[in-house]
Order: sequence, then structure tokens, then C-alpha cells
Amino acid sequence: MQLFGVLVPEKEQLIATLADITRGKAGFSLYAALIGLVAGLYAIAAIFIKGHAHTISTSSLVPWGLQISTYVYFALLSTGCTFVNFFGHVFFEKKYKPFASRIIFVGIITAVAAFFSLATEMGHIERMYYFLLSPNPKSPMFWMAIWYTCYLIIITWEYVNIQTNRHSEKVMWGAFFIAIFTHSTLGSLLGSVSSRIYYYSALMPIYFLFIAFLTGCSLTTVIAALTVKQKGLDEQYHLHPFVTLLRVGLGLALLITFWRTMIGLSAHLEGSEVFSLTLINSVLFGIVVVIIIPYILLKMGKSANWLIFVGLFIMATQLKARTDLVVGAFKIPVFRVYDMPEVVHYTPSIYENLVVVASASLVALLYLVFERSGVFEARNIKEVN
Amino acid sequence: MEQFDGKDILEIMREDLQRALKKPRHERRWAMAIDMKQCIGCHACTTGCMSENLTPPEIHYRPVKEEETGEYPNTGLKFIPRPCMQCDAPTCTPVCPVTATYKRDDGLVVIDYKKCIGCRYCIVACPYGARSADAGHYFTGDFHKNTYEVENSGEYGKTFRRKSHWHSPIGNARKCHFCIHRVEKGELTRCTTTCLGHATFFGDINDPKALITRLISRPNVIRYKEELGTKPMVYYIV
Repeated sequence: MQLFGVLVPEKEQLIATLADITRGKAGFSLYAALIGLVAGLYAIAAIFIKGHAHTISTSSLVPWGLQISTYVYFALLSTGCTFVNFFGHVFFEKKYKPFASRIIFVGIITAVAAFFSLATEMGHIERMYYFLLSPNPKSPMFWMAIWYTCYLIIITWEYVNIQTNRHSEKVMWGAFFIAIFTHSTLGSLLGSVSSRIYYYSALMPIYFLFIAFLTGCSLTTVIAALTVKQKGLDEQYHLHPFVTLLRVGLGLALLITFWRTMIGLSAHLEGSEVFSLTLINSVLFGIVVVIIIPYILLKMGKSANWLIFVGLFIMATQLKARTDLVVGAFKIPVFRVYDMPEVVHYTPSIYENLVVVASASLVALLYLVFERSGVFEARNIKEVN
Repeated sequence: MEQFDGKDILEIMREDLQRALKKPRHERRWAMAIDMKQCIGCHACTTGCMSENLTPPEIHYRPVKEEETGEYPNTGLKFIPRPCMQCDAPTCTPVCPVTATYKRDDGLVVIDYKKCIGCRYCIVACPYGARSADAGHYFTGDFHKNTYEVENSGEYGKTFRRKSHWHSPIGNARKCHFCIHRVEKGELTRCTTTCLGHATFFGDINDPKALITRLISRPNVIRYKEELGTKPMVYYIV
């Protein structure tokens, strides 16, 4: 199997990209991604060198903060890409084909970027080998790690198949189901925590899958619109599947967000007041800004530029929505002593924000370098030949 | 209640402890009882615990919740000390992906500091807020740490020195362990001995003669958030 030029860029192409960067001819996006990655790596280095006490704002009251929500966000983006790849191949084969390799590649790198963020949150990342030496099959986190490994393997296999023109339906179906298992397990990780009413719900695994679909649709719409513009493809014809999937995604997100909020509001358990406390944010932001406004925007235009804007808008609002979800559970302390506030507020530090920048920049940089090197076109060239 | 049946309660509990330690570990079941009427809210247990386990800022194994009750002029003040409940059906142990936290055969829920990956899932899962994340803070700052802040804590009968954030217990989840390093040497938990109001009782509830067993068999005993099914081993006498 040919590796360089088919699965990863050829050495010459990488050297040429590097030369363009040093000559100042790499373009704004590549420089922005590079600067973001350098800034993010600085923050990650600071977290590891200085320690959590001096770099991150999480505490015993808010044990999971922006890094975990970023992990969830990128994991959902990755799942969404796998879902779109599946539905694209099944329902829109010809229209979808030009974007397949790009989308599944982004699925891989967003999964890697998710780990990037997760690693900075752990107190002792160097002890991860205990997942193998001393596993706990009762823990959803253990199963998440197992499924995640399987998921990364199978989507990489799917990428290899697409790039080598040996696309297998079995692998595609496998990737689809493993994505469902992996990310519903991630949902169960939160949904099974009975002590935090904000998380505790059988809806959580389904919530994660629906939101993953929406988030993935938004990212793949941006990728497809950029590709259509770059290659001069027919916008109406090729972007139609993405608009359809985005609408479905918004509908699913509305359904699950609405019912999660309503069921939460009807609870009379200790800590369930967090639902009323966050009600204005849940409705105004979680439903109006995150779902209804994008739907209206989608109605307003279908051009590639407009879809890039809509996709980026959904992605940005989803990042905040994920943080609201992860951090929301800690708003009311389970046991309040001394001068503990009645409502806990959490403001991420600059380092935590830069970890988000690092993860996003990593995805952008790898995508741009691969795109620039013509890897995604290799399959088409081969087909023509 | 400084005396019980004419004997000093600390002496009775020490005798109970010696008796319990003669049994095999799996036949013991450590528990704690807190007499809410005797607790005066002095926080001596909190302070004693901090000095015993050398806990850093923001980490309290045994805080005391103060709760105002009633309306003026009929007001009252209630104190609720909260150690780890050492639940019989803990929510924290099943979630640990690497079994770093587990229930021993004497019922104590402990943490293997050398194994803990610092994912904080157990902190999220504990319904009592009994677990804390040790991020690596110091009372006296980073550059002029007092010696007591970096001394060996001796928790779990081992040596844990706060050298840097790469070394446990920094980066780990931490919690009350009923001073197991003291108990296994035949000493009562620090909070029991420092309690000014003699409100804290400790012992083996598998021993029918033990003071704690006699106290918790009374009808005026409750367990915190018992409805969650966690079967806490800390009893409140109300």
C-alpha cells in the first residue's frame, strides 16, 4: 500500500509547504492555525511544567471544566463526521463522493484533538497504562477508552479504504455502529452519575448522539463548502446533502434539548434546581441561539459562503453549549460548607482557553497541510488515470 | 456525653478498637457516629484532620456544615460534620476506570495514590462532596513553603511527600480514610480524639459490645442521603 501521496502528503509536498511558510506565502489560514497551535502548545507546556494549581481554574467544586468540555466537543465533532460519511455514502453517493476523504480525515484528526485537550485535564496522564494493567469494567470511562481505540482504528481503516479506492460497505457500517457505541458510552459516562441531577438521565447517550450529528453536520458543511469553492463545483448540486443533513440535525437537537430541559424542570430531587437556575440560558442560548437562529440562517441562503458562515456559527455556539452542559452540573455544590457560594461560578483561565485554541488549530493545520499537498485529490487522479 | 456507663468514652472506644484489631480484617466493619446535639461547631475535628493528614488549601476531609434553622426570634444553629461516608455501596468506586479507588474488606473506601490518574470522575460521582482534587496549592505560596506543607503525610500507612505536581498526592483525588494509618496502630481517628464536645464515635459495628454498635442501634439515628442507596457508614445521632 502506498503511504506517501495517498494516505499522507509526499515528502516533497511537505517540504514545499514548509518553504511556503518560511517565505510568507502560505496564506492567512495556515499562519493563523500555526500561531494558534504554537500559543496552544505554550499553554499545554505551562500546564505540565507549572502544574494545575497555577494554570487551570478547576477545583474540587468544579472538577471538570473547559478542557473536558473541549474534549466532549471534539469527540462529538468526530462522531458527527463519521455519521455524515455514512449517510452521505448511503443517501447521496455521487453528490457526496468529492468530500468523502476530507470528511473522514477530519473525523480522525478531531478525535486526536479531543485527546489533546483531555490529556491536559488529567492529574497524572503518565499513568494511563493502568487502563491496561488494572482495568475496571464497571466504569463507563474504561469502556469509553476501549471503544475510542476501536473507533480510531476503524475510521482510519475507512480513510485508507477511501483513499485507496477500495471503499468497503462493511467497514463503513462498522465505523457507523462503533461511532454510536463510543459516543453513547461517552453520554452514559455523564448520564450514569446519579449524584449530579444535571447529568443523570437515560436521555444523555441519545442526547450526545443527536448533538454529535448536528455538530458533525456543521463542520462537514464548512469543509464541503470550502471544497466546492476551491474546486469550482456546482454549489446547488453538491451542497444539497449537507443542507438536508443540517436541517435534520437541527430538528434532532431541538427535540432532545427541549425534552431534556422539560424533564429536568419537572424533577424535585436535591440539586434539580440547577435546571431552573439555568433555564434562561437553556432557552435563550441552548434553543434560540443554538438551534432556531441557525435554522433561520439556513433558510436565508444556500451559497457556499453563506453555508460556511452558518456552519461556523453552529460550531461556535455548540462549543459554548458543551461547556454549559459539562460545567452546569457543578453550579450547586452537593455539600455546602464554610463560605462556599450558593451558586458556583467558573471562569476558565487563559491557559484553558489556549488549550481549546491548540485543539482547533491542530485540526485546522493538519487539514490545511493535507489539502495543500493534494492528498485528497490523489484518489480522483488515480480514478482519471 | 463524656462518659458512658460511668467510663470515659474515649477509653471505651480504645478498648473496642483493640478488640476489633484482634479479629481478621474482613470481620471488622469500621463506622462512625456523630452526635448532632453534642457538636458545638468548634471545627477542632477539621483542624485536627488537616494537621494529621497535612492537607493543603481547599482540601478538607472533614468539614463542618453550619446551618441556621428557624426564624427570628426562634432561631437555632445546627452543625453537620461530614467525613467520607465510607459507603457500603459507594458511587465513587465503580466509576474509577483503573480501580485506583476501591472498598477494602473491612469496608473502608480507599485510594491508591500511585495508581490514580487524576481523572476526577470519582469527585463528580460522590453525592456527599467528600472527595477533593489536589491541584498542588500551598498555604504559604510556592517559593517559601513551610516545612509542614511538604512533610510526609503518612496516609494509608505509606509515605507521601508533596515534592512537585508530578508526585502524588498532588494531581490525585483525596478523601477521608478514617485515619486508617492510626487505626491500624491501635489509635482512634484524629477527629474522634480532638472532638471537644465528645460528639464523634468510632468503632467496629460488627462487634455487638462496641460503643458505636450500641449507639447506632437507637431509634434516633439517621444516615445522610440514605435514599440514594449508598448505605453510608456514618451515622448521625439526632
